[in-house]
Amino acid sequence: MKSIKYLGFFLAATVSATVWLCALSGASQTAIQLQTDPPLNQVIPATAPTQLTLQAVDSNQTPLANANIQLRLLTPAKSPWFTSDFPIVEGTTLLELESAAPSGKLQFEQTLPIRGTYRAEVRVTPQLAGAFEPFEQVISFAIPENPVKYRNLAILAVILLLVGLGGGWVLGGNQSPQAGEIAPQPARMLLSGVTVLAIVVLLTINMSAELAESHAGNPMFPTAPATPTVQQAQNVQVQLAGATESTVGQLATQTVKITDAATDEPLPDVAVKLQVVGLEDNKPVFNFIGQSNQTGELTWQQQLFDGAPHQVTATVAPIAGSPRQFSPIRVAHRVEVEGIAPPLYIRFISLVYFTAFFTASLIAGIVLRRHWLQQSGSA
Amino acid sequence: MVSTSSRVWRRTQQMTLSLPVQAGLLIGLCMLVLWTFYFSTYPPAHDTVHKTRHHTLMVACH
Repeated sequence: MKSIKYLGFFLAATVSATVWLCALSGASQTAIQLQTDPPLNQVIPATAPTQLTLQAVDSNQTPLANANIQLRLLTPAKSPWFTSDFPIVEGTTLLELESAAPSGKLQFEQTLPIRGTYRAEVRVTPQLAGAFEPFEQVISFAIPENPVKYRNLAILAVILLLVGLGGGWVLGGNQSPQAGEIAPQPARMLLSGVTVLAIVVLLTINMSAELAESHAGNPMFPTAPATPTVQQAQNVQVQLAGATESTVGQLATQTVKITDAATDEPLPDVAVKLQVVGLEDNKPVFNFIGQSNQTGELTWQQQLFDGAPHQVTATVAPIAGSPRQFSPIRVAHRVEVEGIAPPLYIRFISLVYFTAFFTASLIAGIVLRRHWLQQSGSA
Repeated sequence: MVSTSSRVWRRTQQMTLSLPVQAGLLIGLCMLVLWTFYFSTYPPAHDTVHKTRHHTLMVACH
């Protein structure tokens, strides 16, 4: 009885010590917490920007003050056997951003182009050396597929199933031509039907192409209001420099530079509001409010995932309490983005899936018809 | 000579109307329609159904 009591005491002491040691080891850990709006399970790819908030905290979950945060956001890995609608974007870098984070927080809005698991590689360093140990963390997060895609695939599957079953039903029938016929009537009906289908598809495509041509007088993508890339007001000069041409799958570097117009001195700690809008649908893809660094610059690298022109706009304003006050200054430029056609083999894989489903439906139709003929013949 | 050509014609007719060839033709036509609609990079085809492609699972676009 006494030995059991000692054993119980020993086990309790061991468990307590383990918990205490775990807490102690965790005490030295700083970390990054990720929050999104909307929640990750409600994000729909390539529709609207998702707000991502990265908060650096210490062991007490208190925000780390006066930090610099570097972020590299990577897209989900390549998946040729189950491709997304932007295969060129898979397995690439979406965004590289660095900003001062006075309250340890980096917040931005980015449209996430495809479903899957993203990787955020984050590096946090103190603005004052020694304030805390620099650290790095990799955060993975996944977003679901657009539900509309499942619905449309189901519609396609039903069409392929019906056409396949119908075709199989016709082909599975008696195919011996009657006297004076070059082909049996069902075969002729089937061939006529699919010929009509082919005519309708080709006619629709060509008619649409003609209608698009007739609207060619209008620019395909609207031109955003003209905003200069260099603006000067109240002794502050703002310049937006960087790529005006980009390619899907690659990063484009953009820089906002703020200087004193009189002395050409860089102006640090000025608030910069960035906005990138896709001009095809006039949808924002990236929003961020940051600050210029000690060289008066804010630089970021971004992949524009849609092969259409984009408008990059930067609005510069003084931060609250700054000695130099001025009215907001806006600069912008247009970035032409070249889309890359998906690799042929990826398209062939999907075509094989669809065709295999159609073929299975066709075989099922033939088998069903033959089975039905056998049953009606024996009856 | 006449019998040879009629035999060739009959064989051609039999082969064309055979089940594997008819099924193959139908599958080929289906593939062609699917390719034009979902996968062709020919601009008029692509531009017409661009949105549909982006909204269908397992269809790659750009």
